Amino acid sequence: MTPSVEVAAQPPGTVLSTLDELLRKPDAGFARARAGAPIGAWAIRVFGGSLVCCALYGAGSGFFAGGAQIGIAAVKAPLIVAWSALLCLPSLYVFGLLAGAALTRARFIVTLVGFVGMLALVLVGLLPIEWLFSVSTRSLAFVVWLHLALWGVAVAFGARFLRAALPEMPASALLLWLVLFCVVCFQVTTFMRPTLWREPNTPVVAHGKLFFLDHFSQALR
Amino acid sequence: MTAMLAHLLHRRDHLLTHILGRQPLGRTLADLTLLMTICAACYGAVLGIWHGTRLAAYDAVKLPLVLVLTSSFTVVFSWVAALALSLPLRFAQVAVLTFLALATASVVLLSLAPIAWFFTLCAPAPSAATRTTHNALYLMHTGFVAACGMAGTRALWQGLCRLEQPRSVVRRVYLLWVLGYALVGGEVAWALRPFVGSVSPRYPVVFLREDALEGNVYEFIGRDIVPHLWSRRRH
Repeated sequence: MTPSVEVAAQPPGTVLSTLDELLRKPDAGFARARAGAPIGAWAIRVFGGSLVCCALYGAGSGFFAGGAQIGIAAVKAPLIVAWSALLCLPSLYVFGLLAGAALTRARFIVTLVGFVGMLALVLVGLLPIEWLFSVSTRSLAFVVWLHLALWGVAVAFGARFLRAALPEMPASALLLWLVLFCVVCFQVTTFMRPTLWREPNTPVVAHGKLFFLDHFSQALR
Repeated sequence: MTAMLAHLLHRRDHLLTHILGRQPLGRTLADLTLLMTICAACYGAVLGIWHGTRLAAYDAVKLPLVLVLTSSFTVVFSWVAALALSLPLRFAQVAVLTFLALATASVVLLSLAPIAWFFTLCAPAPSAATRTTHNALYLMHTGFVAACGMAGTRALWQGLCRLEQPRSVVRRVYLLWVLGYALVGGEVAWALRPFVGSVSPRYPVVFLREDALEGNVYEFIGRDIVPHLWSRRRH
């Protein structure tokens, strides 16, 4: 992050203005952390806003099946992102430190929450496209590929944020962590299945254990 | 132990300066061993949990044992190789650098434990029908251990680079040490199997297999794996 960023004396006070700041000045959170300003309220606003964005994206994906699945997917999508981030949190911290990043608690919180925020903001930006395709196709395989592609776009923006947030981390280590994060997201999605399509009178969360590759191959059949 | 963890993660430069100085290193070695043992034990428990708590408990003992035995078997060679290649290191320094690499690898392993645990949680219970799951878990754990081993040797490389010696000498010593760890580590892990556990009823959960010291991993690769792959290629 560029050290020359001027941080507003007063941090944004609402969720929307905080998310707006994350998009326009992604390094503002880092500047505040460096200056020793409290970042707790900022992090809560970004994280809360991210969950709402993910819920909106989830609701959009639920339009493929329609009905109750809109609400169910709206609940599951933020859970998938939050749970995946939680599982991958220790590895990002250790990878960052071993790569030589001077990670304080504040800087790490800004990095992780900012990454999730960037991901969620791009997802919500893709919401109209997702909704359009969700309501206009009946092919489950197509929407699975669509969501994979949109997820890839969001992760690419998240990666860009991480690269700038942790310049000390070698690109290979960052790529490794991102691959881990994606694989974990896929498995959490499988754990919480069905997300896109649910047979009538079947439970909201399917029983039985399944590996994500098997789940995808079932969905793409 | 938490102090050593903080040193390893936040003040590695300071730790390396201490190791490569002239101070006694007994306390540092003890702290690194304790850190490595606890981190490896936690990951070991996750490694074995697919087959239940008994194998998890066994692996919590066996994984740290693999690391301790590997370093014990290689430390003399590492010291001799360093001296022979004109790298002036005390025996204690070689031992502590070895344990520094292993402790670093163990800390990275521990950071991956939540992910490994979650994938194990999502895996169908072991049975004859879950061979693919077994192989996938095996591959995941092998990949994690190998990647963490590489991260550990990076710490070793950083330590060796601090010695004011030609880079070619440092590189040769580093390669020899890593080769020694890989060669011995593979065999020790093979002798202490099972870790993930087998899906075949012929191999129940045990601490050590009866044939633990009959043959070695490299014989197994040469005698079973390579001919199997070769025959598949020819058909």
